[in-house]
Amino acid sequence: MTTTPALDKPSSGPSGNTESVAARVIRALLTQRIVLLAVLIGVVVVVFFIMDSGGYLTAPYDSDYMASSLINAVPLVMLGLAELLVILSGRGGIDLSVGAIVSLAGMIFGFAYGEWGWPLWLAIVLTAAFGGLCGALNGFLIAYIKFPALIATLATYYAYKSLAIVINNQRPISTPPIQELFSISRSVELPLIGGGLPDVPLGIFTFLIPTVIVVWVLLARTTYGRRLYAIGTNDTAGEWAGLPVKDTRFKAYVYAGVISGLVAVVTVAQFASARPDAGVSGSGMALPAITIAVLGGVAITGGIGRVAGVVLAALLIVWLNAGILLAFVGNEGSQYQLLALGTVLVFAALLNGITNRRYGGSR
Amino acid sequence: MTSDDEINGKETTDGESPGPPSSPGPEQVRLQLAGISKRFGAVRAIRHADITVRVGEVHALVGENGAGKSTMIKIISGVESADTGTIDFEGAPVSINSTTDAMSLGIATVYQEPQLFSELTVSENIFTGREIRKGGRVNWAAQNAKVVELLELLGLPARYATVPVGSLSIAEQQQVSIAKALAGNAKVLILDEPSAILTDAEIDVLFTVVRRLTASGVSVIYISHRLDELFRIAARVTVMRDGQTIGTYPIEELSVRQIAELMVGGILSDDRPERVVPDGEAALVLSGLTRTGKFHDVDVAVKRGEIVGLYGLVGSGVSEIAACVYGMDRATSGQILLNGTPIEPRSPQDAQKLGIALLPANRKLEGMFSFQSIAFNISAGHLKLLSRFGIFVDRTREKSVARDLIKRLAVKTPHERTTIGAMSGGNAQKVVLARQLVERPEVLVLAEPTQGVDVGAKEEIHRIITELAESGSAVLVVTSDLPEALRISDRLQVVRGGTTTVEFGPDATQVDVLAAAAGAVGEPAGDNEGHAA
Amino acid sequence: MSATVNERPDPGVPASEPPPVAPRPRNRVLPSPVSGQEFVLIGVIAALWIILAFATPAFFTAGSIQPLLVSTAPIALVGIGMTIIIITGGIDVSVGAAIMVCSVITAKLLVDQGLALPLAVLVSVIVGAVLGLVNGLLIAYGRVHAIIITFGTANIFLFLGLQIFGSSTVNGIPQTFDVFGRGVAGRTLGVPHAFLITVVIAGIAWWYLRHTAGGRHFYAIGGDAHAARLAGVRVQRRILLAYVVTGLLVGLASCFVIAQGTSTLDQSVGNGKELAVIAAVVIGGTSIMGGRGSVLGTLLGALLVQTVTSGVTQLGWNSQLSDLFVGVFIIVAVGADLIRERARRAG
Repeated sequence: MTTTPALDKPSSGPSGNTESVAARVIRALLTQRIVLLAVLIGVVVVVFFIMDSGGYLTAPYDSDYMASSLINAVPLVMLGLAELLVILSGRGGIDLSVGAIVSLAGMIFGFAYGEWGWPLWLAIVLTAAFGGLCGALNGFLIAYIKFPALIATLATYYAYKSLAIVINNQRPISTPPIQELFSISRSVELPLIGGGLPDVPLGIFTFLIPTVIVVWVLLARTTYGRRLYAIGTNDTAGEWAGLPVKDTRFKAYVYAGVISGLVAVVTVAQFASARPDAGVSGSGMALPAITIAVLGGVAITGGIGRVAGVVLAALLIVWLNAGILLAFVGNEGSQYQLLALGTVLVFAALLNGITNRRYGGSR
Repeated sequence: MTSDDEINGKETTDGESPGPPSSPGPEQVRLQLAGISKRFGAVRAIRHADITVRVGEVHALVGENGAGKSTMIKIISGVESADTGTIDFEGAPVSINSTTDAMSLGIATVYQEPQLFSELTVSENIFTGREIRKGGRVNWAAQNAKVVELLELLGLPARYATVPVGSLSIAEQQQVSIAKALAGNAKVLILDEPSAILTDAEIDVLFTVVRRLTASGVSVIYISHRLDELFRIAARVTVMRDGQTIGTYPIEELSVRQIAELMVGGILSDDRPERVVPDGEAALVLSGLTRTGKFHDVDVAVKRGEIVGLYGLVGSGVSEIAACVYGMDRATSGQILLNGTPIEPRSPQDAQKLGIALLPANRKLEGMFSFQSIAFNISAGHLKLLSRFGIFVDRTREKSVARDLIKRLAVKTPHERTTIGAMSGGNAQKVVLARQLVERPEVLVLAEPTQGVDVGAKEEIHRIITELAESGSAVLVVTSDLPEALRISDRLQVVRGGTTTVEFGPDATQVDVLAAAAGAVGEPAGDNEGHAA
Repeated sequence: MSATVNERPDPGVPASEPPPVAPRPRNRVLPSPVSGQEFVLIGVIAALWIILAFATPAFFTAGSIQPLLVSTAPIALVGIGMTIIIITGGIDVSVGAAIMVCSVITAKLLVDQGLALPLAVLVSVIVGAVLGLVNGLLIAYGRVHAIIITFGTANIFLFLGLQIFGSSTVNGIPQTFDVFGRGVAGRTLGVPHAFLITVVIAGIAWWYLRHTAGGRHFYAIGGDAHAARLAGVRVQRRILLAYVVTGLLVGLASCFVIAQGTSTLDQSVGNGKELAVIAAVVIGGTSIMGGRGSVLGTLLGALLVQTVTSGVTQLGWNSQLSDLFVGVFIIVAVGADLIRERARRAG
């Protein structure tokens, strides 16, 4: 008979005592995305502090600046979490339409709060629900009809984008109630400990942190989250295990839509106006969101990805962008932000490729 | 046809293709492997193997699952390289380190899974990578003419040349794979279980083709579990067992039973602990179950506390039967009765609610969530049970359930957070099995429960299955591993040709069952199965 | 061993009978050149044109058909390359940004250096090819998903283009490119040259994909890249080629874009074009999963999208509604394709 096999050795790479410290550090950096991101954030911040003290920046890159720039993190992190949910669901999951949903839901919010006089909380609920409805169409096409996600969300991107513009004949809604919303983006002192710390934009507390907490709980603590990871890892095994594959996948897109609806509210507040092209101007909101998801360690094939990664990736990009804005004069800054975003994405992708091959994937 | 009779006539006279006398001189041997061994990690797939394939012969290679046949084939076709041993091709030593090496020698393999491009036509598939060109463009006319020749050789309609491969049946696709191998001027053609998916008529056609090929000097290595077929087509047979080649024999010197005995070795004690099967009504009954095209008139009954085995080879329909019981597929007629009540599970979820659990056959594709932890894998599908208010995962309970099962099934792991993808086959299989045991099932269906599992874990899994039965579940084991089927079942039914056939009791021997499954149904021991084609 | 049959004449087949397929016209040896989806598209486009001709008499005049063809040309042209990329199972969302880079470089050269037409086109094409090469190398050899890489390069190209733009627009572009579509000199028999060139290139691509080994290899890669490699297909070189060719076409298309614009080029050029191209490709019946597709479908898809855009404008509707229709068409076209595939597999 065949010989008895050796006992299982715990896996993940070469055994500890034959690796040098340097090799171990590199392996940790490459396979633990959170660690890498934390290190990179540190590097970026330090570099800009140094540039600041050397007088290379047009304005101080200090903790106040960093805190106030966090307002940009709000839509970015939230949409990044939305993409996290759909990419986790597997089978090529992706959502190109989030920006368009932001535009369209933003118009709905504009109508409800700005023109029909609904109370704020009700308008927000409506907007979020509407976003969920938009996401439901995506989910239905992808999970039940089996459309490839890229195509389905491409189509809905077109549809929602045009509806947003047509619905109010290309005019934004900037009625007084909307304009007063601007207060959401003002910075506030942190409660209790606020004294010595910089002021943080209100939106962080009212929208960002609750969303991060909810999504984190959803993914890490609920049965739905487990199911999502399962079908993203192997949806055939999910079927054999008796999991509701289609339903789980459908819901991921609905949740992404709900989050997009909330982002719409934030965006309207930030610009004090419900603009029909809010989410699709420039290269749109979907691309940066997908970028930080990938940067945050989400596997494009599904099943791998964490909230912490997305949040850290967004912080990295936001503070990097904030610094770039100060390092260059005039318009140049926003252009270099594009370069930074693109280069970071390419490197993140190549990195994912290398870690998959050498270390069997990252966590 | 005249030419075939010629060949057949010659085969019966001296047992070999027409040509020089039977004692092999060096110019007669096309491929020779000697002293081959191969190890995968700690598992020795091949301990010592020798095989000599002659010019123009059909050489059968037989052995039970795990005997080393597929590894041998992989070494010959360049997918794997041997650890030790030599390979000689037409008298000269060669090294085959890649599939390209094998292809350039003229060794072609036709697998059960046709590796074809479904959107391209048959003609394009056959010639991908070696298109016939004229100027800058493909010479479709010339290519198609050749393809038509090949198709006619295989008995397929000529118009198939321009049909997308995806629209052909699996059997036809397999024939296209053969044509593809032939188009590459193969000198050694390896056919891996070709008849598994063919009807009798198609098998006849296949054999005609094979005979034509050998008549022109092509060597064919023919792997099959269907021992009765070998007598129609093979000249010699090499038997492998436990990673060794036991010997090579001219086919006419053996009978089916004798081959089966060699495959099994007679050493394996079918020792089974005495089991008392409780009496009572059957918990699970399949009555006249039919699914058009896959299986028909299947009758199985499993009592509580009983283990019934369904033994069937690839293509027998046995895995489709299991899928049906579990709600993955639907039967077109017939009944499934659970404790006397007819049921119609429409999905695995339905089946689970009824108390039916199933361990999937293909662990990697259908069972495991590879980069997740053991605890994750175990709790998948039972999340509601292991939750608070049905929404929040109760991690404490999950942990204790996982630890409990790890202990019960003797899974070798430091803790429940280990990634399942890093574990050995046996341990991973135990984890997937553990998933089925979180809630004690009324009926447990196990498909290929120890495939790719080492001996130690195999024993343990068998022990677990027996314990399960003793605790009251009705167990149905669907397997193509014969020793396992015999060791563990109280009753064993052979599935062949899409339906349940002979049933064996606890005192059946492997040879009996193998012979039955191979088609020698009802043959008393000792008969010579060989007959001239 | 098909030589077998030659050496030992098979008595089953009379020697005098020719093989059943040989000297028939070449069309018989391959599946029909026009697929079901394409017939439907032709029908839909024809129907739309007829409806629009009745709804707005202005539609069927040269004055509106010609610009329609001119605006279809760049989308269709890039679509040819995109079709090949998608057939291999990849994708490229950076073409919009690439168009921006090529057009700004070319426009600046036209304005500053007064380049002649052939040289300007050459420059544009080469720039495009270089951009395509970057994508191709990363995707073919970096073994990363094409969508992520091209999202990244899109941003990098955008940066490059904006840097080259410098101030916000390029002004005073000479009429060098008029021969592609503007005025009488830009047309032959009433059809704008840009469109004619596109059709010719589409024809060449169609022939290449259908009748050369290299062309068929693209399909093989999309069907099963692993099996293709085993069969001897140079997978990585083919993929690289697909992206470089697309880059070349982007370069040429940028010239068309300049031709149909005014004498001022602004930074929004190319914005969103990648989506229009992808839409044209999938409406045309090419499967996003790879292994299947045709440039004829893409040509028709691009024509359909532009017809919708033009029609909406002509009818006086909100121009944004055209996007809505495009979205609906994508769903219908891909849905029909999915249904047909499922029916074919079940049958």
